[in-house]
Amino acid sequence: MIGWAMRRLPPGSLAWLTLHELRGTTRAAGGGKTRWIVGALVLLGYTGLGVFFGTVLADEPFRPGPLAWLVVLIAAILLFTFMTTQALLASQRTLYEAGDLDLLFSAPLDPRTIVSAKLLGIAGGVMLTFSIFLLPILLPVALLGHPELLGALALLVALACTAACLGLGVTLLLARTVGPRAARTLGQILAALTGASVFLATQILNQHDDRRESGTMLLFEALRSRGYGSGGLSGLPGRAAFGDPLAMTLLLGGALALFALAAWGMRHAFLHSYRAGGARPAANRTAKGGIARHFHRGLFTSIFVKELRLLLRDPALIFQVLLRIVYLAPILLLAFRDGRSLPMAPTLAFTSVVIAGQLVSSLAWLAASAEDAPDLLKVAPVAKDDLDFAKLLAAMALAAPLGVLLPIGIALETIPGALVTLVFTAGAGGVVGYLEVAHAQPAPRSTFQRRQKGGGIVRNLIEFVIALLLGLAAGVVVYFL
Amino acid sequence: MSIPALRIAGLQKSFGKPVITGLDLMVGAGQLYALLGPNGAGKTTTLRMAVGLTEPDAGSIEIFGIDARTSPQDAKAITAWLPDEPMLYDKLTPAEYLGFVAGLWRIPPDQAAPEAERLLRWLELWEVRDTRCEGFSRGMQQKVALAGALIHDPQLLILDEPLTGLDAAMARSVKDALRAAVDQGKTVIVTTHILEVAERLADRIGIIAGGTLLAEGTLEELRALAGSDEATLEDTFIRLTSRS
Repeated sequence: MIGWAMRRLPPGSLAWLTLHELRGTTRAAGGGKTRWIVGALVLLGYTGLGVFFGTVLADEPFRPGPLAWLVVLIAAILLFTFMTTQALLASQRTLYEAGDLDLLFSAPLDPRTIVSAKLLGIAGGVMLTFSIFLLPILLPVALLGHPELLGALALLVALACTAACLGLGVTLLLARTVGPRAARTLGQILAALTGASVFLATQILNQHDDRRESGTMLLFEALRSRGYGSGGLSGLPGRAAFGDPLAMTLLLGGALALFALAAWGMRHAFLHSYRAGGARPAANRTAKGGIARHFHRGLFTSIFVKELRLLLRDPALIFQVLLRIVYLAPILLLAFRDGRSLPMAPTLAFTSVVIAGQLVSSLAWLAASAEDAPDLLKVAPVAKDDLDFAKLLAAMALAAPLGVLLPIGIALETIPGALVTLVFTAGAGGVVGYLEVAHAQPAPRSTFQRRQKGGGIVRNLIEFVIALLLGLAAGVVVYFL
Repeated sequence: MSIPALRIAGLQKSFGKPVITGLDLMVGAGQLYALLGPNGAGKTTTLRMAVGLTEPDAGSIEIFGIDARTSPQDAKAITAWLPDEPMLYDKLTPAEYLGFVAGLWRIPPDQAAPEAERLLRWLELWEVRDTRCEGFSRGMQQKVALAGALIHDPQLLILDEPLTGLDAAMARSVKDALRAAVDQGKTVIVTTHILEVAERLADRIGIIAGGTLLAEGTLEELRALAGSDEATLEDTFIRLTSRS
């Protein structure tokens, strides 16, 4: 469909270039014919659900008020953080990975058109992702009786445009201030943090509250008590989503004005970053001394040292791995909350096993699948099982410093409990790590910022369930010790 | 008669359609052997099967008498593979990379470290031994990969298009390195599109087309096969491949 539309537009125009960007985004999603068919069927089913809701709600009158506006405001905040994360990553890909800027800037086109098309491409990509989740429900409900909900589309466009401007702006600012190489790492860390920001904020709120309500509810109450969402600027998203023409115009107009301003203002910064991005990223280090320290006896040491070096030299990946652990923090908080009802040692044992399992799983995934030179390992005179075992051991060794922290804490209460926890922690790490190593799909490490972990949802779920079961077993054993 | 460095018999491989169709090839020890062929002739597939990266459908592969299909590790221990895209880690330095490769081939550190130093100095990489490979030019990356291929003192060195993307000076130093390896008694097999390289460097030349060996011999033998004593290798190559 995009190709059809492109053939009808003047080549080199803003619309033509934007469609070219969107074509790249949709094709980057990848997947074979089967995946597209399954995706289409799921989408069809999802739309069917939307039609069901639309039919049920068709005659139900909507009377949006401050409460509904506040719900929309919170949803918009959440959506905006995810969109900004996506825009940050898309901006990085545009500047450093897409590889088409040489072609575009060497063509007889106005650089402003190119920058605008890139920005529109980022916004369009963001919009496309979230449209897939929202529109199959929203559109049927709106079309079958509540046309005022089409205002949510305006909100979606406004959020995507603003997120695209913010994403590209931050990426360019980082490139200008810290240089292209550090900008990539910092941008990826920032993207991960942005995505997790609301979660982290709700967890912190939750930690300081005695009422055991969820973090999101606390955020809701905090905003409501301060009057957010019912009026003024904070009321705009809610009003726009429920079809208030003035709010829609203000939001959409503001976002589009910002977008135009950004496209105009970022042109020079974009060109500067593009040119700087082409520079060689690594500075020459003065070589000193001999090289004997780099040679080790035995396969495991060689693999371990290599994996450790590669991990330490990729802060963005380390951050991604650690962020997975942060998402498990609520389990740990259970043990430390004021007036806790769960016993400390068993809870810590459970947490230790689950967290170590996830950590080893991530590290094993990196060791086995983030492999720049898989053919080198295949042509080496080493059995695959030995190599897999060495990688698994390396992942477990890398996770060990974090893996022993909680057992040390348990040891203050019960030493046998600490030993049991250690055994279960190592066991969980070994089992889930083995699953990752055994099903490795090697690919260059540089592509890992946009790769889904492991072999998809099913394996991740199996690994998590194994870690949970072993964690529960550890908790029960420690409880009865 | 000495054991051939590489002996391939009845090799077959199909990727949906046949790519290698009963290939027989023998490369004598201590030679520089150039494998030529048009695009898609099956050169890379043949070599990838020889080093154990691709599983053949049928046929046998022996490296210095070792059956590479039943004893792959023994065969790999004396073989080096250098593809056109260097098998490097961007974030490792040349010294660290050589340390890792030596570990994979289980070369004792006291033996590997001096050899690595010799290779790094010889390939003019000593000054950048502590700089990560990510900033290296294509030629420097190729030299690091070549050092990695030589660190375990292989008897058979197999290179796929080793001169692709190299400038003249770098290409010369790689050619010198290959010739030096042969002078030290090693066997080198290269695929190349640059016929002048094969003409000047190779002791013997094999021409592969349609998944089978079309012709093989010294340049003079190939000229005789093509029916022209004065022809260049390019003329000979075109005549032979156009017959297939």
